[in-house]
Amino acid sequence: MRTRNATAYRFLTPYLLIFAIFWIWPIISSFMISFQATRTVPWRFAPAFNWGRLIGDPAFYNALENTLLILVIQVPVMIALAIMMAVLLNSPMLKARGLYRFAFFAPVVVGEVAYSAVFRLMFSLDFGIVNKLLASVGLAKIDWFSNVTPAMAVIMIAVTWRWAGYNAIILLAGLQSIPDDVYEAATLDRVSKLKQFFHITLPLLKPVIVFCAVLSIIGTMQLFTEPFLITERGGPGGGTETLGLLLYRQGFRSLNFGYASAIAYTMAGLAIAITLVQLWLTREPK
Amino acid sequence: MSSLSRSRLGRGILLHLFLTPLALIWLFPLWMMVVFSTMPDNGIFSPGIELLPHDGFLDNFNNLQRDTNFVGAIGISVCVAVTYTVLSVLLTSMAGWALARYEFHGKGIVVAIILGTITLPYAVVLIPQFIMVARDFQLANTWIALIVPPLFNSLGVLFMRQAFSMMPAELFDAARVEGVKEWRIFLFVALPLARSMLAALAIILFLASWNNYLWPLLINSQPGAMTAPVALGTLIGLTKVSWGGIMAGAVMLTLPMLVVFVLLQRHFIAGIAAGAVK
Amino acid sequence: MAAVTLTNVVKRFGVLEVVHGANIDIADGEFVVFVGPSGCGKSTLLRMVAGLEDISGGEIAIGGKLVNDVEPADRGIAMVFQSYALYPHMTVEQNLSFGLRMNGNPKADTERRVSRAAEILRIDELMQRRPKQLSGGQRQRVAIGRAIVREPQVFLFDEPLSNLDAELRVQMRVEISRLHKELGTTMIYVTHDQTEAMTLADRIVVLKAGNVEQIGAPLDLYDDPVNRFVAGFIGSPKMNFLGAKVVETSNSAATIELVNHGGARLRKPLCESLPTVGAEVVLGVRPEHFCEKGEGDCDIAIKADVAEHLGSVSYVYANAGPEELIIEREASRQRASGDHFTVSIKAERCLLFDKAGARIR
Repeated sequence: MRTRNATAYRFLTPYLLIFAIFWIWPIISSFMISFQATRTVPWRFAPAFNWGRLIGDPAFYNALENTLLILVIQVPVMIALAIMMAVLLNSPMLKARGLYRFAFFAPVVVGEVAYSAVFRLMFSLDFGIVNKLLASVGLAKIDWFSNVTPAMAVIMIAVTWRWAGYNAIILLAGLQSIPDDVYEAATLDRVSKLKQFFHITLPLLKPVIVFCAVLSIIGTMQLFTEPFLITERGGPGGGTETLGLLLYRQGFRSLNFGYASAIAYTMAGLAIAITLVQLWLTREPK
Repeated sequence: MSSLSRSRLGRGILLHLFLTPLALIWLFPLWMMVVFSTMPDNGIFSPGIELLPHDGFLDNFNNLQRDTNFVGAIGISVCVAVTYTVLSVLLTSMAGWALARYEFHGKGIVVAIILGTITLPYAVVLIPQFIMVARDFQLANTWIALIVPPLFNSLGVLFMRQAFSMMPAELFDAARVEGVKEWRIFLFVALPLARSMLAALAIILFLASWNNYLWPLLINSQPGAMTAPVALGTLIGLTKVSWGGIMAGAVMLTLPMLVVFVLLQRHFIAGIAAGAVK
Repeated sequence: MAAVTLTNVVKRFGVLEVVHGANIDIADGEFVVFVGPSGCGKSTLLRMVAGLEDISGGEIAIGGKLVNDVEPADRGIAMVFQSYALYPHMTVEQNLSFGLRMNGNPKADTERRVSRAAEILRIDELMQRRPKQLSGGQRQRVAIGRAIVREPQVFLFDEPLSNLDAELRVQMRVEISRLHKELGTTMIYVTHDQTEAMTLADRIVVLKAGNVEQIGAPLDLYDDPVNRFVAGFIGSPKMNFLGAKVVETSNSAATIELVNHGGARLRKPLCESLPTVGAEVVLGVRPEHFCEKGEGDCDIAIKADVAEHLGSVSYVYANAGPEELIIEREASRQRASGDHFTVSIKAERCLLFDKAGARIR
């Protein structure tokens, strides 16, 4: 190829400008703000102010704990569900494939606000359809939003509903890139379908699964809308408050930008750690 | 019937027996959204189980419009999403083209920065972006605030870079030898060939903008400047509010996207799947 | 029309040097073929002439004008690509006229040029089709047509026939030859196929690993290669190489012993230099230059492994120690695998190379 600096940068500049102003600079700026005391004007450099507070703040640990809890339970369940959906949707025996695809993939287009509203209504105590159905089969009603555990469950169910299909789409694409003849060879070797799944499908799909897991973890880590809207600002009593919600509260309710930035960078640290784990998991065997 | 085909048939039935309930569960929230949107509020909050739509959608819509100017908000959402999509497709495909098809100084650094920062959480940039747009540029509650900052997304760049680098290089060399200017090669050769990729990208970007919640919530919080999801979100949790109206709003936000999804499923899925298949 | 001159042209990709100072003079109107195995740098060289690759060192001039920093479009060249590089979203007509239209060429002139190209290549009837609806051969014609439309001073061909099947390849080869005669324009043609090089070229440039090995008319390369590589590359089937040892030298001739053929000896007259006695050398004999027992200067006994009968000729494959020999015989059904027979080598019809591969004349 010929070196074409002027042409290349003419194509790149508009994007790079936006990218620098609204992505790179904020990344740096956020880091600097996290070391500043922002409660008083002018802001001053005080490294221990926010980070020191963070280390001793029970609200932070509560949010971190809730976030990690959701991560640890919801992500694996959703990924397993997504793998199952993808494998079954890929089955040549499936009839009316389009309908099933629609059922599982449709939530992908539903906005956070719309589905938060629906889930909130579905799980309401006296008139929610879920409790009505539970009652109709003779089970006790559950007060979903007054207790921490069921409230967490609703959030996890909602997030899983919204994102399982999304991951299934990615996994399905991964599945379809596995050549058929691998399975044909295994069938000739008398390897059962179940064993084929564990010894062929899963290993070959591993990079895609890891990719989905990382994507989901980083998404769930920033969880904001669901606890904001479904469980009413992290209720009951902060029981479903996540890091994303804490950041919102500190940054945009209390206007404490420095502390919020420190929380943001904690999330970034987690994201970097998770990305490194992904790179390690999908490294090429030497 | 041979035992082989019988066991195949058995497996097929098992598959459908398992998948059908799961699919129904998955469709249930969407179905209930539609049902709720057609029921009067005293119907939603009644002890009976209602699983079929009624005819109260228009009443609910009127209630919604009484609670907030939802039509106005939808108007803003449409304009913002369309403008954002056009601009973002243009910017990211130009950048993707440059990264895929030119050799230039600093290319390695640009690619490394884009790749290196792609998994950082959006939360990291939220506060400086807000300070910059609201305080430094004084742009809160404007369309620019809704459209321009989210243009930074780098997934689109990588997507288009991939699309352009899969095309045969000789095609562009042929045009170059014929004396076609670089920007015309981009416009008249590369873009037409990338049509289906552009469609996929446009759909994904439009959807992202249409459903975007956090940033519009922060930056355009004044009633006349809200996007539709933000306007709808303000109603959730209020005491004296029509839930039938909220559901009507949810349906109006969701249904058009479902139609697009059904019509353009191929592009949709290609756009989402492209993330993983590198 | 224009001459093309390459002076000490060097190409580096990063630290890797892939062309090591090529010097090639191409006369106005000449048909020159760059030939060599894959990775020899022939395509890179062509792309440098086209302006699609930076020139890391040296100079390229077209029509006497230095073009190192000139854009491809301003070099007066047109190029035909291996993959045809037709724009899939345009009709044949649009493909032909695209470059001219994009550069604001007057409409009437564009039409004239397009219809002339269509006429030359007999593709008038395909004008409204899209590339997908064309056969391989038709696509190739359109690709050439697109080059003709530019009315260039130099045509560049980058392995244009390698995607065609054997029959079409022969047909298009003739076509390109005819085109060169009709247009009389300078043409540079890259291929890995020595048959194409032999049949098309006024002169051939043989390349190997980024070096120009030899430049010459096809038959000069065939008769008088400078080294073992060129000797082996030009000619089909390949030249046979027989291991040998110099046993005696005298009166501008060397006597060599064929080490794998029971000490058969051959006296090879030489005019430039004599090898030292005892040196290991290689004797090159083309399959078609073996003659019947007793007719040459050195008889060797052969056992046929496989005999291929092509109708017009027959090829006999034989193994002698580590050497595989191919011998072309007159068409005959008589030779079959397992046959023992004797062939003979004529001293004036074989070539001698030293151990490093350089020719000993």
